[in-house]
Amino acid sequence: MSHEYVPEVSTDREGKEHVVQGWQDDREGGKMGFWLFMLTEVMMFGAMFLVLTYYFSLHQQDFINASASLNRLLGGINTVVLLFSALTMGLGLLKMRSGDVKGAQLMIWATIVLATAFLVIKGFEWTAEYNHGVFLGLDALQSGNEHSKPFGEILFFGMYFTMTGLHGFHIIIGIGIMLWLLKRIKAGKVTPGHNILHFNIALYWDLVHLIWVFVFPYFYMIGAGDIGGVIHGH
Amino acid sequence: MDTNVNYKAEYAGYWKVLVALLIFTAITFIQPGMFLTDYTFVTQIAIGAIKAWIILMYYMHLKGEKLIIAFIYFSLFLVTFFFIVVGIDVANFQYQDVSHITSQVK
Repeated sequence: MSHEYVPEVSTDREGKEHVVQGWQDDREGGKMGFWLFMLTEVMMFGAMFLVLTYYFSLHQQDFINASASLNRLLGGINTVVLLFSALTMGLGLLKMRSGDVKGAQLMIWATIVLATAFLVIKGFEWTAEYNHGVFLGLDALQSGNEHSKPFGEILFFGMYFTMTGLHGFHIIIGIGIMLWLLKRIKAGKVTPGHNILHFNIALYWDLVHLIWVFVFPYFYMIGAGDIGGVIHGH
Repeated sequence: MDTNVNYKAEYAGYWKVLVALLIFTAITFIQPGMFLTDYTFVTQIAIGAIKAWIILMYYMHLKGEKLIIAFIYFSLFLVTFFFIVVGIDVANFQYQDVSHITSQVK
């Protein structure tokens, strides 16, 4: 025999009893749970920023020199791309909440396109760096050979590839869950009245944007002072 | 349908936030050549913090959320605490000669 349905009963503040239809619509719980997950992300990236700050304090000049060699134009374009993707994701959620499901789907697709553009630009950047001999595992980032970069630069680029790589991985995950969201919308599981999944995925995307807001200046901008006379490179 | 939606106002809000974030991004770009040039690092992180606050409050809908904001303060406190503890440790570092991260191993 299969499980017999036993209705759960909960009591409200006035003492009236109600049959529980399901806990899936607990919007507050869904939101809270997702924020807890996001705070674990803050802890993870926080620890990485701590390591980065520590290395920076030990090797300031090397960090500034290494930062100056990054492609600020591509990094800047990516910053703007992410900014617009946060807008399209937010507008998609707004459209969903106001009943425009088609518009919401369109906005999610726009976000996916922008996210892909971010990855493609990042790919160009990494390829150019690889071609210049700067990549994890290449001689320039290994100590003790004729091509070795100064030690602080090796640490800088190690952190740069690790952190932008981990951030890029979050972008890939983001694209995956957005495609999943589109599937759920198509299946009628996410609707204007029941949009917590859409809400949380939009939050995730904002977090990915938020991390970049600090990754970008940390890696790309600290060595940008050549004109203004911060500590000069060689 | 969500009955609490004021579509026009929220739509305009999203665009206003975008403009604000674009302005701060532009400031990020011109700062190293224009102002506070001796303090690029600190200034950049400060601009990032302002952008982060705008994103949290408006794009991540934290305005009016008391409990989640308390969560965030707590996690920021923990991160800051680790920064301070490590900072004290680094300030009193005694192993330069044998460390593998302070200089190149000969």
